[in-house]
Amino acid sequence: MSVTGSDLLGILAVGIVSVTALIAMLAGVFLKNSARLVMWLGLAGMAGAFAAAWGTYPSAGTAFGGMILAGGYASFFGMLILCAGILTFLLASDYLRKEGVEYPEFYVMVLFAVSGMMLMSAAADLIIVFLGLEIMSVSLYVLAGFMRRREKSIEASLKYFLLGAFATGFLLYGIALIYGTMGTTDLAGIALRFASAPPPSLFWVGAGLLLGGFAFKVGAVPFHMWVPDVYEGSPTPVSGIMSTGGKAAAFAAFLLVFVKSLGGGGAKVQTLLAIFAALSMVTGAVIAIAQKNLKRMLAYSSIAHAGYMLTGLAAANQLGESGVLYYLVAYTFMNIGTFGVISLIEQAEEKRLEFSDYAGLGLRQPFLGIVMSIFLFSLAGIPPLAGFFGKYYVFAAAVDAHMTWLAIVGVLASVVSVYYYLRVVVFMYFHEGPEGAEVISVPLLGSVALLLSAAGVVGIGVFPSSILSLTGWFF
Amino acid sequence: MESIQAILNNPYVFAALMALAPLLWILPYALFAIWFERKVSAHMQDRLGPMRTGGWHGWSQSIADLVKLLLKEDLIPAKSKHGLFMLAPYVVFVGSYAAYAVIPFTSAYVGSEINVGIFYFVAVSSLVVVGILMGAWSSNNKWSLFGAMRSAAQIVSYEIPGTLAILAVVMVVGSLSLQDIVRAQEGWFWNWFVFGKFPFLFIAFLIYFLCSLAEVNRTPFDIPEAESELVAGYHTEYSGMRFAMFYLAEYANMFAVSAVAVTLFFGGWQSPFGTFLSGPAWGVFWFLSKGMGFIFLQMWLRWTLPRLRVDQLMYVNWKVLMPFAFVNIIFVGLWMMIAQ
Amino acid sequence: MDFVDIIFVVFALIVVVSAFIVVFSRSIIRSAFSLLFTFFGVAGLYVLLNADFLAVTQVLIYVGGILILILFGVMLTTNVVSVEIKTGTLQTVPAAVIVAVLSGTIAGIFWFTEWHTAPAREGPTTKALGTLFMTDYLLPFEIASILLLVALIGAAMIARHERGTEGGR
Repeated sequence: MSVTGSDLLGILAVGIVSVTALIAMLAGVFLKNSARLVMWLGLAGMAGAFAAAWGTYPSAGTAFGGMILAGGYASFFGMLILCAGILTFLLASDYLRKEGVEYPEFYVMVLFAVSGMMLMSAAADLIIVFLGLEIMSVSLYVLAGFMRRREKSIEASLKYFLLGAFATGFLLYGIALIYGTMGTTDLAGIALRFASAPPPSLFWVGAGLLLGGFAFKVGAVPFHMWVPDVYEGSPTPVSGIMSTGGKAAAFAAFLLVFVKSLGGGGAKVQTLLAIFAALSMVTGAVIAIAQKNLKRMLAYSSIAHAGYMLTGLAAANQLGESGVLYYLVAYTFMNIGTFGVISLIEQAEEKRLEFSDYAGLGLRQPFLGIVMSIFLFSLAGIPPLAGFFGKYYVFAAAVDAHMTWLAIVGVLASVVSVYYYLRVVVFMYFHEGPEGAEVISVPLLGSVALLLSAAGVVGIGVFPSSILSLTGWFF
Repeated sequence: MESIQAILNNPYVFAALMALAPLLWILPYALFAIWFERKVSAHMQDRLGPMRTGGWHGWSQSIADLVKLLLKEDLIPAKSKHGLFMLAPYVVFVGSYAAYAVIPFTSAYVGSEINVGIFYFVAVSSLVVVGILMGAWSSNNKWSLFGAMRSAAQIVSYEIPGTLAILAVVMVVGSLSLQDIVRAQEGWFWNWFVFGKFPFLFIAFLIYFLCSLAEVNRTPFDIPEAESELVAGYHTEYSGMRFAMFYLAEYANMFAVSAVAVTLFFGGWQSPFGTFLSGPAWGVFWFLSKGMGFIFLQMWLRWTLPRLRVDQLMYVNWKVLMPFAFVNIIFVGLWMMIAQ
Repeated sequence: MDFVDIIFVVFALIVVVSAFIVVFSRSIIRSAFSLLFTFFGVAGLYVLLNADFLAVTQVLIYVGGILILILFGVMLTTNVVSVEIKTGTLQTVPAAVIVAVLSGTIAGIFWFTEWHTAPAREGPTTKALGTLFMTDYLLPFEIASILLLVALIGAAMIARHERGTEGGR
């Protein structure tokens, strides 16, 4: 086999991101005070990659001898992850300056993380799943500990690394067992073998380990322990991309392996996923109520959202699958937006992260108040915003798949979640702010990012078919 | 007679004999090299060195030293970790001796003709580092530990450009087997790789040679046992037979890296004059004399150059040798591509 | 039992016994050194499986790299925290139960699974491996190099001097 032009075209988008990361790294080494330059370089690279993904979108297929998906599904997730990356860049630059850690390495690592996520979401082979996952995770381990003077940041990095390495071990052992029983790591090949003969029981051990590894990466109960500490301790823009791009990539691979390749894996896997989903929704929603720190609250909320998305996977029907994809788009915009507002309000030394710090914000700073309200309403699932339709699709899918109980649990959990999302809104508009509270100046790039996210949340909420028509033909 | 023949024909006995054969060379060589080193250093410093033991130029000085070491008390520090302390010298020696398994002494003899030969050599030499760390840690002595840390950092770092330099030769030959590499250098001495693909393989040779000096802790890379700072580095606490083991391993290692340099770049057992004076027996002669030439070179450098500082050591490795080795590989690859 | 079987048993014993020492030794440094024998035993098993390149890679990477890294880590940290790092056993009973269940499951499944066995492939593997890396597995090979680069940059970033402080740039 020799490399052809279509192979290279197939990985064009992720290739552009990786090369940009390499160039950015060299620029960071050889030029002084190059953080800004590296940021613009990275933005340009990601925009180019976005264009490439858009251009290759209609031509779905595989590249490099069936190693990796090209176009279609891969392009869709590529664009989604690139959106998360671009928004993170826009939000990070002012945040990092505020914290006094604006170094070019931050952007380089985010670029590498983005390329890892894109690879993972395009994988057509378990080897690529593993490699993409590791590129993403290693970058995120480092980014979580980027603020080395902060104890919480170091703690986040260390916890994420230790537990993440453990989860990777699970995943890799699972892959090894699957290879041992199926004789191939190629997802299409596994699907063929799977359809032709029932796999040996060892295969299910491997699949279970793989499931554990994925559940860790998406932060679903019972593999969620790391989420609150890591989201709380990491620099806020990093929490943003971790919870959106990282989750999107993990779900993309999850879907490819468990739904597309193993054909839903039969009732066993579906039931297991449903249990994970129900546990995640309930645990996330209930514990989030008790939180005082906004980042921590969002961490528990992200566990709950992982549960909603798992509901779609557990349903394993067409509506569920495109519902998960829609949900991921919606979640990316609303969650990055929320973390963006938090990163603007947060002050150095981890100040201003409590609910009470948001008292009176809506009247003092109308712009921040309005966008934050949009994001929170969407997270709570209030129509006509994107979050509502996401939940609607996955719950409807669960009902279709005769898992009504799961849909009921989900609806109850989201009713509970309304409490803690709206509590922030209540603080912003119905509590008096402290006397002489300073008005935070909203930087230009940050407000661009917030506007884009808000537009995304409203836009795909009002026109949900725009996303569904993009994803409808994948399944 | 026939029964002896039968025993020799047993493949396992034969393998065992082949495995022990390098000892026939290492032991006398080490005795000679120790005496030789003292003589070389002495003459370079305008002294005479040992003159009395045994008569002619003190030729039996090393034998006397050996007897002394054997008779000495085997000291084991009370607070050392005894098991590891006793094991360490053997691990180090096993590391250096295992490398001899793939060294082709002549066209007819190589301990084990495996097709990953040179790769095996690179891999197994790392065992020495573990032995050194083991000895140093168990000695419970700060000088030992400092020495071992320096040694490990140095060996691990210099392995990388050294291996890259070896890779250049492997790319030219297309085989990892050392015998294949020697056979690829057939003919007169200008076919030796040190002159081949000029100047890229010559650069590879220089890089490899420098790295091999670092790997055997010889000056100018001898900071692990810098006697002016660290007493004797990692073997400070050792005495008697165990000390002799370390010493033997060090000299065995010196010859092993020289032998690989000879094999990769100087035609191995090939005669420099084409078919003149060639054959298995002459092969041994050429191989050993080329190897001893390198031993002399190492001694010469040791008694000529001062020691590097730790930061200079790392600078040379990561910022000088490494880029050169990488660029060199790219050029060799280009050459091979164009030559095809 | 022919000679190769005996060698197999020897290597397997080395692996198992040294692995036991790794787990049960109270001194972490002893565990680390015991790991040396585990790695070598595994390399020996690879040789018996005709995986020559893999065997040497095992020695190079695990003995020459990872083991030395572990030793460095142990030696550089023990005196910093002024307590000798020891491994202990906590929650023995639950751990034993879980271990028994897990190993029972795995052993049972290993026993009952029909393994796909391929005929032993004689001869060198290096060239075939290299060819595969440059053809079928080109993409994973390149991605792996990016992964290593990311790990390298990440490690350097974590270990760097704080800028603006002593020794920073």
